[in-house]
Amino acid sequence: MYSFTYTRAKSLAEARDMLAKDQDAKLLSGGMTLIPTLKQRLASPSQLIDISRIAELRGIAVKGEHLEIGAAMQHAEVARSNDVKQKIPALAYLASQIGDPQVRNRGTIGGSVANNDPVADYPGAALGLGATIKTTQREIAADDFFKGVFETALKADEIVTGISFPVPKRAAYAKFPHPVSGYSMTGSFVADNGNGVRVAITGAGQGVFRWKEAEVALGRNFSLAALKGLAMPSRGLSNDLHATAEYRANLVEVMTRRAVASLTGGK
Amino acid sequence: MSAAFKGRREDRRLVTGAGRYTADWNQSGQLYAAFLRSDRAHAEIVSIDTKAASAHPGVAGIFTAEDTKAAGLVFPPPFLPFPGKGGQPIKVPAHGILASGRVRYVGEEIAMVVAATAAAAQDAVEKIEIEYQDLPAVSDVEDALKPGAAQIHAEIPGNVSLVYEYGNEAKVNEAMAKAAHVTRIKLYSARLVSNPMEPKGCLAVYDAAKDVWDFWSSTQGITMMSGSLATHGIAPEKARIHAQDVGGGFGTRGGAYPEYLVVMLAAKKLGKPVKWVATRSETFVSDHHGRAIRLSGALALDKEGNFLAFRLDWTCDLGAYPAGAGPFINTITPMLTPTGVYKTPAVYGLHHLVVTNTTPIAPYRGAGRPDGAYLIERLVDEAAREMKIDRLELRRRNFIAKDAFPYETPTMVPYDSGDYATLLEKALQKTDWAGFEKRRAESKSRGKLRGIGLASFIEPAGAALAPKDQTLLKFGSSGNLVLHSVTGPTGQGHETVMPEIVGRELGVDPELITLSTGDPDGPPLIGGGTAGSRSMSSHGAASLMAAREVIKKGLELAAKDLEVAVADIEFKDGKYSVKGTDKSIGIIQLAKKQSSTAGSHPMDAGGEVPAAGTFPSGVHVAEVEIDPDTGVTSVLRYLTMDDCGTVINHTLLEGQMHGGIMQGAGQVFGEECQYDRASGQLLTGSFMDYYMPRAGLIRDLQVYDHPVPSPTNPLGVKGAGEAGTTGSLPTFMNAVVDALRPIGIHHIDMPITPSKMWHAIRAAAK
Repeated sequence: MYSFTYTRAKSLAEARDMLAKDQDAKLLSGGMTLIPTLKQRLASPSQLIDISRIAELRGIAVKGEHLEIGAAMQHAEVARSNDVKQKIPALAYLASQIGDPQVRNRGTIGGSVANNDPVADYPGAALGLGATIKTTQREIAADDFFKGVFETALKADEIVTGISFPVPKRAAYAKFPHPVSGYSMTGSFVADNGNGVRVAITGAGQGVFRWKEAEVALGRNFSLAALKGLAMPSRGLSNDLHATAEYRANLVEVMTRRAVASLTGGK
Repeated sequence: MSAAFKGRREDRRLVTGAGRYTADWNQSGQLYAAFLRSDRAHAEIVSIDTKAASAHPGVAGIFTAEDTKAAGLVFPPPFLPFPGKGGQPIKVPAHGILASGRVRYVGEEIAMVVAATAAAAQDAVEKIEIEYQDLPAVSDVEDALKPGAAQIHAEIPGNVSLVYEYGNEAKVNEAMAKAAHVTRIKLYSARLVSNPMEPKGCLAVYDAAKDVWDFWSSTQGITMMSGSLATHGIAPEKARIHAQDVGGGFGTRGGAYPEYLVVMLAAKKLGKPVKWVATRSETFVSDHHGRAIRLSGALALDKEGNFLAFRLDWTCDLGAYPAGAGPFINTITPMLTPTGVYKTPAVYGLHHLVVTNTTPIAPYRGAGRPDGAYLIERLVDEAAREMKIDRLELRRRNFIAKDAFPYETPTMVPYDSGDYATLLEKALQKTDWAGFEKRRAESKSRGKLRGIGLASFIEPAGAALAPKDQTLLKFGSSGNLVLHSVTGPTGQGHETVMPEIVGRELGVDPELITLSTGDPDGPPLIGGGTAGSRSMSSHGAASLMAAREVIKKGLELAAKDLEVAVADIEFKDGKYSVKGTDKSIGIIQLAKKQSSTAGSHPMDAGGEVPAAGTFPSGVHVAEVEIDPDTGVTSVLRYLTMDDCGTVINHTLLEGQMHGGIMQGAGQVFGEECQYDRASGQLLTGSFMDYYMPRAGLIRDLQVYDHPVPSPTNPLGVKGAGEAGTTGSLPTFMNAVVDALRPIGIHHIDMPITPSKMWHAIRAAAK
């Protein structure tokens, strides 16, 4: 680790000011990616602005047909929230499958979407549910937010404050954990909004993406039968020493089937 | 025996965070070390400039190969007290503690910075300017053996350091020629990273007045560490080794790593304590690796399925330097049990030990044993299939009979005792082997592939690290006893089980007895540390002998106390009694009555046993289920029926089995250290890319015994530390292949990652 200064921001306004004043500062929330990066000396920020205890970033609230989760909410808090379990059980389940208990009790939802690791779980839920990312400057639709590997629409001085999830008619997440890291090797988040279906795939490619063909097929007929014969092309998917692109394409199909089956009683 | 087991005595300390590992020791005024390591696999070092680094605030010193050479420190030749084929000794390159002139693997130590803080030392390392000229690298033995391959050492032409042979080639060729059937197989035992939970590290303090170091480090035994330091140029009497808790050994904490010597040198030169603790990233590149063997074998059978001969060919990666026991484990260890548990008249083994631009290879749990068992047991299963003989029947036909001991292998090694046929029958009963086809059909109805497999294996244990092992029992003032031993516990439970052995013999509560192992002020004892499944047959047996000596010494004192002749005294259940009377005195009571002078008590006694080679055996059974959709293999059940000789404490034996089997499962299901073949860069340098088995991998694990006492030691024990790993590689893989046979697959290499398995199944379906 290189040396840096550490400041715990007391308010969102303070964090925003500090970030605006220092181009080399980094926001620290759960630190699940940042701290290992610092320990490996792969980054040398001038200061860390800890936003994990800012009251404005905390809390889970049901607002009409939306579920709003503060950016600093930890995965474990989301997983055990009765509101989340009642409104979007697939989201509570997804949170419960992230990492291990240590990670779930440190890592935050805001950190996960802002980091946009292609193998993270939350981007799948955000894109699959058509969520809105709220920031200190604006509201961004998930479809416009995620921009490939570790890239988002966020500006340098912009802070994610929360995420608003529309409550779907039904949704499910099926994850194939990476045998080594436990991250998503492929996860399929399937959401039926009543007037359309969204299928978001995480882990398999260079960032979270929607499987449009499956969405169309399931939109017509929300059943396993609709997925029959639907093949995920392997082109563009990740291919590395752990798994081939063909294998990941297969996992996209299998995990999507499993997500759908869990909602249709296997039909 | 274990009914009264109340848990391990060391666990209160360990689970409450009160254990003291290397990083927990500190000295006031200590400095911190950090290393510059090679970031390339093979290159000439054109220049090293340490000027800017030296000027970095807080830097106290920078050490390079020039310093270690001037101090007389050397990288010792490997431990290999015998020549190879044709009497040719192993070819060993000239090499120092730190790289000079050339680097030969990613992670090799080049220079060390010592500074006031660890961060300052790391900062300064980054300021060392080094210029390289890259050389072509070979990171795989196949590439290293190709004509025209890059030469790693001038002293090792063709990159072959040693060719080793055993058995009788002519007899084997003859048997192969006349055999009714020959089964051939090629397998791979991947390169593994040992990954103890505790990274390597050390703390050195130099006392100039006495010219002695105090040295803290994780080690598998203080005599192993001092012996290793001696081979590097620091005499045993110059280094006082301290070791309390060690966070995992597995073979890679046997001796001194190069870093330790440089840290010691710095402590002497700078006159201050110097501490260094590796990062996990350093652990991945610079802890010695394990396995990395290409195995091929042939088994010749007559038409009834009787084994005629084994031919075994191993091509073993040594890494960049033949180091420590790296060459030993892949030569003599497999030679000791070359035909497994099967009577086979002929065997021939030919092993090539090859250098590559990779991290050196050292023993890792099993150290040649799992690889040997894997080769033999996969051969037997394939021979059974090819000859259409039931795999159980083929084994029964060829088992060495239980009345054939001591049995001499074709390599003239005596097996101590065993009953392989009974192990098999008892294991089969416990697993409902006969009902398997019904279970397979049930899995098939769910679209899954189910398989069952077993291995009946043997391994050599009780490595002769010392000609004999000694212990010493000393009485304390409150009637307590301290058992001194140079065993190097790394999680086995020695603090619990060694006192149990003594307590049982003396007829006293084991709680009265404390084990002392890592104390430089302890009595000088001859003995090896903890490695090669040896601690129970050596230190354990020596502890028993010491207890017997204590009882003997007490006889005369008891006679005096009870006012009778020695001949009238008998010892039983912790008491000396006058025969035929109710007059008696307890051994502890007697000890308390004696006055001890100058720390010596009249009943203090030592015990010793000669090195004893034991041959634990076992039958393990695994049942697995493969999901063809994802390629995931699940372990439904794993069961062991082991002969580890007399069982002292079944719970601790189970602990050894659990750990060993899990480490085998790691290799089966995912562990593989991979280098980029062209550049020699390590691709699996963190837990993001290097698989480790998780506890949930095996949910049903049952450990049973069928002990056949070993006549080689007074406890009758055999080794247990490596049996789990040795058994589990062939057991899992025989089960996996059994699951795949219905779709026409009869071979798949470890590790069976989901992607690899899915591709294999898909290819078979085409």
